[in-house]
Amino acid sequence: MALSLNIIQKLHLCRHPRWTKPFCPLLHPSSQLLQCKLYSSKYRRPGLPPDNTPPWKRINFSFEKGVAGVKKHFGLLKKEVEDHLRGPGGKTLRENILEQTNVVWEFRSLEDLDKWTLSSDQEIGGKSQVSLKLGRNNQTALFYGTLNTEVPRDGETRYSGYCTMKSKTPLGAFNRKLHYDWSNFNTLYLRVRGDGRPWMVNIKSDSYFSQQRDDLYNYFIYTQGGPYWQDIKCRENVYISLSSCCLWQIPFSKFFLSSRGRIQDNQHPLWTDKITAVGFTLGDKANGPFQLEIDFIGLCNDRAHTEEFAYEKYKRNP
Amino acid sequence: MRTLRFLISARHLCARGRGIPAGQALGTGNNAQKQVTCCLHTSPPPGPPQATSSAGSVTPYEDVFQREQRNKASFVEVLDLYCNRDVRRRGHVEIIEAALRWMTEFGVEKDLEVYNKLLDVFPKEVFVPQNYIQRMFNHYPRQQECAIRVLEQMENYGITPNKQTCFLLLQIFGARSHPIRKYQRMMYWFPRFKHTNPFPVPAELPADPVELSRMCLHRIANDLDSRVAVYQMPYTEKCDDGKEREHLHVVGIQSPSQVSLLAAHNPSTPVYVEGPFPLWLRKTCVYYYILRADPDPMRKEEEIDNERSLYYPLSLDLELDRDLGDDDSFDVDDVEEGPVFAMCMAGSGDELLLGKWIRGLQETNPILGQTPVVFRLNSGPQELSVPQEKEAEPKGELEDDEGEREPERRRMEQ
Repeated sequence: MALSLNIIQKLHLCRHPRWTKPFCPLLHPSSQLLQCKLYSSKYRRPGLPPDNTPPWKRINFSFEKGVAGVKKHFGLLKKEVEDHLRGPGGKTLRENILEQTNVVWEFRSLEDLDKWTLSSDQEIGGKSQVSLKLGRNNQTALFYGTLNTEVPRDGETRYSGYCTMKSKTPLGAFNRKLHYDWSNFNTLYLRVRGDGRPWMVNIKSDSYFSQQRDDLYNYFIYTQGGPYWQDIKCRENVYISLSSCCLWQIPFSKFFLSSRGRIQDNQHPLWTDKITAVGFTLGDKANGPFQLEIDFIGLCNDRAHTEEFAYEKYKRNP
Repeated sequence: MRTLRFLISARHLCARGRGIPAGQALGTGNNAQKQVTCCLHTSPPPGPPQATSSAGSVTPYEDVFQREQRNKASFVEVLDLYCNRDVRRRGHVEIIEAALRWMTEFGVEKDLEVYNKLLDVFPKEVFVPQNYIQRMFNHYPRQQECAIRVLEQMENYGITPNKQTCFLLLQIFGARSHPIRKYQRMMYWFPRFKHTNPFPVPAELPADPVELSRMCLHRIANDLDSRVAVYQMPYTEKCDDGKEREHLHVVGIQSPSQVSLLAAHNPSTPVYVEGPFPLWLRKTCVYYYILRADPDPMRKEEEIDNERSLYYPLSLDLELDRDLGDDDSFDVDDVEEGPVFAMCMAGSGDELLLGKWIRGLQETNPILGQTPVVFRLNSGPQELSVPQEKEAEPKGELEDDEGEREPERRRMEQ
C-alpha cells in the first residue's frame, strides 16, 4: 500500500516538490494542456539548468496549425450550441434526471486512447516504461509496461517507481476548461482485468483556490489476476461472486483526500459536480512487468449506498 | 538565488578538487555550469553504501556497518556498541541515518523491534521542549526530521508501530512534536486500509511450487467448484549415463462448468494453449497458461425448455414496462472473447511439459482427443532454457498454414 502521510508542513513541501512527486504523478502530466504546463514548469530535475527560452519562441506560428485550430474550435462551438439546445450536457432533461448508469470512457478505437495521457517516473529520471494500446480485438485498452524502482542518481530524489495513466481534461471550444458533472451518481464502476497488482484510482476535482490545485482523491483497486474480467464494484468491502466474475464498485464516499501524495489531516468528501480527471497509478514497489486491461469506466447510482463519507471529518484528524 | 549559491559552491569545489581555476569555471558559462551542477548532484552509486575510511567524511559510521556477518544480531550489536560507548550519544543522527541505509543489507527492514532499537539511540528527554517559545518553534529540527525518517521508512515497508514506539517518541521528543504527529497519523490510517484487499495474499508464500501453484490457481479461477489436479510432481530422475534429469511440476485447474463448456466445443475448430501470463503475488511473479478457444460466431444460446420443471419456470420473461430510471445496465458492447477451458501452471513453458497437461486433461475431457491443440506461446522469461521450442507466432499466420504444420505441432490425437 503506497500510503504516505502528511508529515511536514506545506512550506517544507513546496521547497521539495521532487520527492513528493512520485506519489502524485497525476499532477505532473506530460505537458499537453495549458494549465498543466503552468504546473510542470515549476518542477525541474535536480542537476538540469533552468529553461530560459523566451515564451514567444515556444509558440508555433504556423498558418496550417491556425487553420486547423479555427476549424476545430468552431466545430466544437457548433456542437456545444446544439448540445445546449438539446439539454444539459447534450442529453435530454429526461435522460439527465432518470439515468442510473453512465459509461464515461470506453475503449473501442484509437480515438478513445487519445483521451488519456501516460506518464511514469521517467519524468523524474526513473526507468519505468509505460505504453497503452488497444487489446486483442480492438475492444479494450491494455495499459502495460515495466515498473522499475531504481532511484535516479540525482542526490535528491528518494523514491521512484510509478506508472500512471490519466484522462485528459475535457476542453471545450477555444480551449475553455470543462468538467464532468457526476452528481447524479455515487459510485465509480470499473471493468478491468489485471495481473494481481494493486492499483490506485485518483480523481481530480476542479477547485477554486490555487492552493487546492494539488488535491487528489484516491482509493485502491485490487486486481485478482487470471483470464476473467473483474467488475470492480465494491459494496462496503463485500464483494458478491456471481459465476466467476466478482462485482465490485467504489463509492465516491470512500475516496480520501491527499495532496502531493500525502494524506491530509482535514478530510473532506469528494464533490462530484466538477470532476476534471480520473487516473490510475501503480506504485507497489515490485519491479517487473505489469498490465491492466480496461474495458470501460462507468458510473452508477447505487441506491443501497447511503454513506456520505467513510472517514472522520474532525478539525484535526489524528 | 539558488543558482548563484550553486555557482559559488561549485567554484569552490572545482578550484579545490579538480584543479580547474576558479575563474575559468565561471567564465565558460552555461555549459560548464551544467557540468558542475551535475557533478554536484551525482549521488553515490546504488546498492550498499560504500565504506569511507577518512575521518572527516560526509557520511561517518559507514564503516561500522561493514561486517562479514549481516543479520539482525550483528545489526543490533552495532547499535549497542554505539550506545554503550558514550553517554552523550554524540553523532546519533548520523548513525541512525547510516543504519537506515544499511537496513536492507542486514535484512531487518521489516522488523519492528529493530526500528524501536533505532529510536532508542536518541538521547532521552533532551529534545523535549521546556517552555512555550521552544514549543512554538521547531525544537531540535534535525533530530525531529531524523525520527520522521525512521517512521517514514517503517511506513514504506508497511510496518505498524506499536506502543513502545509511541513511548520512546514521547520520551525523546515529548507530546505534540512532529514525530508524535507522524506516529498518530500512521496509527489512524494504517488500520483503516489494513483489510481493504478482497483478494488477500498471505504474508509468507508457500515454498513448495505445487502448493504455490495450487494457491494461485484457486485465486485466478475464482470458482469454488473448481478442482486442482497435479499432472506431474517435481522430481529428479537419474538417467543411465549418470546425468540427472529434472522433471518440473505441472498443476492444472478445471471447474465443472469449464468441463461442460469444453464438451460443447466444436471439435473441428482448434483450441489454443496460450501463455505465459503473469500473476503477481506481492513481489513475486508467477506465470500461468490457459486453454481457450476463439469466440464462436455460430454458437447460439441454448433455450431452456420451460416445461422441464413442473414446479417453477426456469426462465421468466415478463414484459415489465421499465423506465429509464430502473435500468441499471451499462450501455456498452460486450467484449467478445473465447471461452476459457482450463488453466495450469508449469515449471517451465516448453511444449513438452504443457503437452503433459493436455494429455492429462484428455482423461476428463475426451473431446480433446479429436480437437487440434495449437500452442500459442509468447517468449516468456521461463522459456530461456529451451530456445529451440520457443514459438511466438501471430494469429493470422497460424490459420494459413495450419494444415501442414499440424503434425509437427504435437497435435494431441491419440
